[in-house]
Parts: sequence; structure tokens; C-alpha cells
Amino acid sequence: MAITQAMCNSFKKEVMLGTHNFATNGNSFKLALYAEGGGGKSSTTATLGHGTTAYTTTGEVANSGSYTAGGGALTNVAPSVASSTSSATAFADFADISFTTATITAMGALIYNDTNSDKSVAVLDFTSNKTSTSGTFTVTFPTADASNAIIRIA
Amino acid sequence: MFQINAAEIGNVKVNTSQNGGFSSDQIADMATDKIVYVADNAPPAIQEQARLFADRVRNLLRGYVDLAKKEERATIIQVIEQTGNKELANIIRRL
Repeated sequence: MAITQAMCNSFKKEVMLGTHNFATNGNSFKLALYAEGGGGKSSTTATLGHGTTAYTTTGEVANSGSYTAGGGALTNVAPSVASSTSSATAFADFADISFTTATITAMGALIYNDTNSDKSVAVLDFTSNKTSTSGTFTVTFPTADASNAIIRIA
Repeated sequence: MFQINAAEIGNVKVNTSQNGGFSSDQIADMATDKIVYVADNAPPAIQEQARLFADRVRNLLRGYVDLAKKEERATIIQVIEQTGNKELANIIRRL
């Protein structure tokens, strides 16, 4: 598979370097959509996974409706820590994001830090092609808790 | 030594629509998923109760989403009619 869900290896290192700030008024993060096969711009194919270090236009879906190159800006939800256990899990979350009046077929997405040189955070694999036709394409983030949140460190 | 046991990412859900926006059913489903979460490892009886609760929430939300759409449309129709554009108002009324 060309798109493999993963927390990027570079992100794990950059967390220790204080590169990413998920606070409400912290860094600006974005979500870009990618196609597999010939669905991307200029028929390019995305290859995304653990090794992805930064946003790339290769395989990104074409502009349509409110989707433009680089994707949409995410709204940070302040990180929390589940305090019910001694070895608690910290987690970060984002508000759901929608692209409207868009014709898009995407197999996955990349969350990246728009403030800090487009450094990658995580690759999301939709497991199958998701298509909107002159409609709305919404990515809904999981429940923000210790077991499900989009980004978790235990 | 300090050790991080796991750094993980969650699974997102993608919802799409064709030739227009989301239906009331889709919006109700999306909102219900945010309100009620049923853990796979919860006891079966709890899971069943949670699912029944989710169904009630979904039905309630669907009704209010329909109402919100209808009322918003009524406001838009009123504004358009006041500008004398009755044909456009009728198109929106028939949606």
C-alpha cells in the first residue's frame, strides 16, 4: 500500500525537540488529502507512512470546491491527560474538518505543521477510496480520550 | 529511566455527500457518534443500553436537524421574496 497509517518517525523525535505545539493558540496544523493510483494531481501517486517527514504535493488531490493545495487548516483542541491511572495517557485532538462543493476521491491524509516548515505529524489511511461529488468531504476525528484520540502518548 | 510505552494515532471517519450537502440522517449519525461512544470492551448489557440510548439520540437529532433546515430555508425564502425574486424563492421552497 502506498498510504500506510502511521505516526511519523520524524514527529516522534520532534516532540522531544519541542517542535510541535498543539495548544489552542499554538502552531497551525493542516490536513491534506491524497489519492492512490492515478487520482492525484498530474496522475502522481502518494507514498506516505512512517518515513514521511513533511508535506508533499505528490499524490495530493486536485483543487476542488473549498479544497486547495496544502489542504485545510485544522482547529487545535487543547491537549489533555487522562488522570484516572498512574500511567496516564496524554492526547491531542482537532475539530472535524470539511471541504464543501468538492469533487474529491481520497485514500488518505497527512496532518502536518504549517507553522514549522510543513513538518509531518501523522499519516491517516482511510482504508478505501472516499469520494464526494459536488458535495461535502468531511474528516471526523475520533473521540478525544485515552483510548481513541487522534494523537496519544502513553 | 523514563519510558514512553506507546505513541499512537486514532482512526478518523470520513463522510461524503454527492451533489449537495449532507442529509439529515448523515448529520444525525455524525453528531450521535460524537455524543455516544460504545466501548468494544464494555459488558454486553452496557453496550446494549448505550446503543439503545444512541438510537434515541439519533432520532431526536434527526428531527431537530430537519427542523433547523426547514426554518433556515424559511428565513432565506422570506429575505429573497422581500427582494422581489419570487421565482428563486419558489425554487428554494421546493428543495
